[in-house]
Amino acid sequence: MNDDVPVSSRRQLRRTAVAVLGAVSLLVLAACGSADPAPTTASSPDAFKPVTQKEGSEITVWADATRVPGVQAYQKAHPNVKIKIVTYSGDANGANDLQTKVQLFDRAGSGWPDVAFSANVNDASWASQGKSPYAAPVNQGVVSQSTLKGFADGALNPCAFNGNTYCLRNDLAQNVLWYNKSLMEKFGYSVPTTWEEYQALGEKVTKEHPGYLVGTAGDAWSPEVYFWASQCPASTATGAKKVKVDLQDAKCTRMAKLLDTLIAKGSVSKDTVFSAGFIKNQASKVLMLPGPSWFGQVLFNSTFKTPKGQIAAASPLKFEGDAKNYTGNVGGGLWFVSSHSKNLKASSDLVTWMTTSDAYQGTAGTYPAYKKAAVTWLANQKKTGYFAEDVGPVFKESAELIWPGWSATQYSQEAIYSSTVVPALNSGKTLTDTLDTWQTAITNKAKSLGYTVN
Amino acid sequence: MRRKHHPRSLAARLAWVIVMGLSALFFCVPVVWLLLAPTKTDSQIVRDNPFSFGSLGAVADSWHHLHAFQDGAILTWLLNSALYTFGALAVTLVTSIPAGYALALTQFIGRRVLLTVTMLVMLMPTAAMVLPLYLGMNAVHLDGTIWSVILPFSFFPFGVYLTYIYFSSNVPSDLLAAARIDGCSEWQVFRRIAMPLAKPVIALVGFFNFVGNWNNFFLPFVMLPDSSQYPAQVGLNNLLAASPLFNTASGAGNQIMRPELALATLATVVPVLIVFLFSQRALVSGMLAGATKE
Amino acid sequence: MTTHLATERSGRRRGRSARNPAGRAGYVFVSGYVLLLLAFGVLPTGYAVWLSLSNSRNQLVGLGNFTRTFTDYRFGPAFLHIALYLVVWLASLMILVVLLSLMLHGRMRRASTSLRFLFYLPGALAGVASVLLFLILLDPAASPVGWLLKSFGWNTLAQVNAPGHLPVLFTVIAFWTGAGGWIVVMYGALNSIPDEILEAARIDGASTLQIALRIQIPMITKWIAYMLILAFAAGTQLFVEPQLVSLASWGMIPDSWSPNQLSYQYAFQAGDFNGAAALSVDLLVLGLACAALVVFRTGLFERDER
Repeated sequence: MNDDVPVSSRRQLRRTAVAVLGAVSLLVLAACGSADPAPTTASSPDAFKPVTQKEGSEITVWADATRVPGVQAYQKAHPNVKIKIVTYSGDANGANDLQTKVQLFDRAGSGWPDVAFSANVNDASWASQGKSPYAAPVNQGVVSQSTLKGFADGALNPCAFNGNTYCLRNDLAQNVLWYNKSLMEKFGYSVPTTWEEYQALGEKVTKEHPGYLVGTAGDAWSPEVYFWASQCPASTATGAKKVKVDLQDAKCTRMAKLLDTLIAKGSVSKDTVFSAGFIKNQASKVLMLPGPSWFGQVLFNSTFKTPKGQIAAASPLKFEGDAKNYTGNVGGGLWFVSSHSKNLKASSDLVTWMTTSDAYQGTAGTYPAYKKAAVTWLANQKKTGYFAEDVGPVFKESAELIWPGWSATQYSQEAIYSSTVVPALNSGKTLTDTLDTWQTAITNKAKSLGYTVN
Repeated sequence: MRRKHHPRSLAARLAWVIVMGLSALFFCVPVVWLLLAPTKTDSQIVRDNPFSFGSLGAVADSWHHLHAFQDGAILTWLLNSALYTFGALAVTLVTSIPAGYALALTQFIGRRVLLTVTMLVMLMPTAAMVLPLYLGMNAVHLDGTIWSVILPFSFFPFGVYLTYIYFSSNVPSDLLAAARIDGCSEWQVFRRIAMPLAKPVIALVGFFNFVGNWNNFFLPFVMLPDSSQYPAQVGLNNLLAASPLFNTASGAGNQIMRPELALATLATVVPVLIVFLFSQRALVSGMLAGATKE
Repeated sequence: MTTHLATERSGRRRGRSARNPAGRAGYVFVSGYVLLLLAFGVLPTGYAVWLSLSNSRNQLVGLGNFTRTFTDYRFGPAFLHIALYLVVWLASLMILVVLLSLMLHGRMRRASTSLRFLFYLPGALAGVASVLLFLILLDPAASPVGWLLKSFGWNTLAQVNAPGHLPVLFTVIAFWTGAGGWIVVMYGALNSIPDEILEAARIDGASTLQIALRIQIPMITKWIAYMLILAFAAGTQLFVEPQLVSLASWGMIPDSWSPNQLSYQYAFQAGDFNGAAALSVDLLVLGLACAALVVFRTGLFERDER
């Protein structure tokens, strides 16, 4: 074995090193441009200029496996429209597949799907930005105004940037107060209407029925469930790519304190509701659970397997000092029409059908964002007979109660919360202690994506 | 036969058994769990003992749900995967075995450069290669075709190095020199002398190439625009994304839960294990053949 | 196919020097590979290096992208994570793989075949396929190794995934899926040592340990060197394990835990391919430094070793 470097290769090494150093210094000297990434040009509210249209041309539709049957149904009902359907992840669970691919298409100058579904409610924040945004502003003659007006109040907020609307909302995920009616009756409790009553009940439960839960703080969407409802300015857009983050605001600290108290008492869990541990040990002990409308079927019915006739929904809670109760929103899919589409007419017709038609939305898995379809949907929910009480009025009411001060951003609040706050909670810190770390994490992430934070 | 000559102490044997037993446990316990998972219902997986056996009926149910996903898409994915990986495997073997041989046993100008460049490229993080590869494929209008996957899959520097090290440390150049003196052409030397000795490394290269490509997610994800072209890994990703476990917007009534995902996982793993068993046989028999020849 | 024809022609020539016995045949043998190397290795790498030195308007910016990414708030933590991970990962991989291969090689062949198969099993489960497995495995309540996790005092998914545990957790996962493959390679390498040499040493009275240290390990140095280079590079480029655990824990792992993930965030979340390329070049330089060290120390490129 030659332990020593041969002289020749050592000389070679030295020569190479000199050459590399020379090259590097040349490059440094040669620098003539700025290393800043493309200066962020806020998309101008100019009129949208479509590409040359080709009537009757084939449109490509990207949707997730859940939405594909709907597209197929549309195809069946409209046999003369040429559609190519591509199944993709739909950006579920924090994936950014659509954005990844669109970045590559932008570079290559071709390949964009005419229509795309995304389960990530934040996706419009990047799709509406850039030199030529991927999403077409649907309010500029792509989708009729009367259709846009038919969506629930505020449903299109995540699509709105610079006065334009860049997507249609597939479903809403408005938060309500889920509770187990049978257990509440058994324990002799009445459903709270304010957060103060909620806290009092949470404390009472630990004394009278230890182990039972009134909420969870370990879910990725805890900020949207608790802090959004508390009108905490954690994500308030104040302009294009400008966002206000102030977690020390009294409206944030009041919720942090409330949760800290209940976590300490043990009636709010630090787990996430989908973890096997929670399903196995705590699912049957959920007395109340503030959470999105999809909790009803997806969580209680499919995952927890809570028997029929126990679960009911109550109106979102309000703070005693506040005039009105507000709620948050956890997700909700979006439909985009591509600004590069050669057949905007067919694309917009498909997107309109997918979001508004009773035939599809009426039987969809989640609460339709379109008001008329929601009525049909609620009637169908009633028919399933799963809930202890009709959830219709509560769902309809809370769909209009979403606090408008929480904006969709290019970064995910959920990712930040679950990677920053959840580990801190589980290491024994309180939420109140963690607010500063959380604030820094949001601010840093926002700035790294070109946001101005104040 | 070694044991006969050198009986070891009981303690050494015990230590061997313990270390091997613990290692086997470490590697196999999760796999055993995975094998049992499709026999149970979703709620049994979460609530029962992890090593309990459900029923064969449950496996059939899971298969029905899995097969119903996009009308048997899982079979399409497996077929696509087989097409891409075997296509790439053929090109890889034809290019990398001779290359490794030449790097180890012939001397030519640029040999060191080639070794260095191969190493350099191998060390480049793949995240940075995605955009250049995509734009390259786009420029030559191969994007969206199966070649955009098969050709990059066929470039296998890891295998070139395996072959290079194998030949350079196992085949003495004297052996080749003798053959040349006997009048063999270079092609004959490679074909008649080197190839028979190379069986184990062919098995190794073939196997690692197959597995690497079979499990590659990102390249086909980026290159293929059509879901009917998806290989198993990209398909599985869609399956995961469609499951209510990960996709809260999937709604109720979706049948893809833990048992179905476990079954899909097993279905994609079986081909790899079959290839492993075959290549193991070639690996060991080749080694023995080489040993007796010397 | 053309390769072979050409070989016949050039191979016919006689009177080659001892230093260059194969004449031009070497070029022919490597030609197919060189084409692929240029198209899918050199060109993309070259383009990536160019990206790292330019901006989105195709102007040369020197080291601007490097200094810019260096000051990113995620840069320091990501490289620190990787450093910690590398220590645990390299130590465990090098020692355990060589040890297990030696032990497998010394004993009953039949048992060793089955054991190699068992050790390899998890290797087939790389990638997306294993998300479900980790979803259950890391959750003490339903995990098949729940008793083990609980014995460490970790009772929930979040406690298992606590930030301090991550380097070790990722090592265990990477070792679980990756070690089996390397054991097969090392076993193959050990197999190629002629039996006579080992027999002779035994007759001279060498113990198993002495044989391993003085004969077997030195004779597979090139393989070990190769493993070290690739394991180091794979370690610095860690990507899959944090992504998988993140998926299986609903996002408890930061999306930029490792530099390679950070590079991915730059490229596909921020659309900043230049910054992403700069980070990748950082990793490339690290990998090359390690490779250069190992190549010179072990003579990996030397042709006539024995």
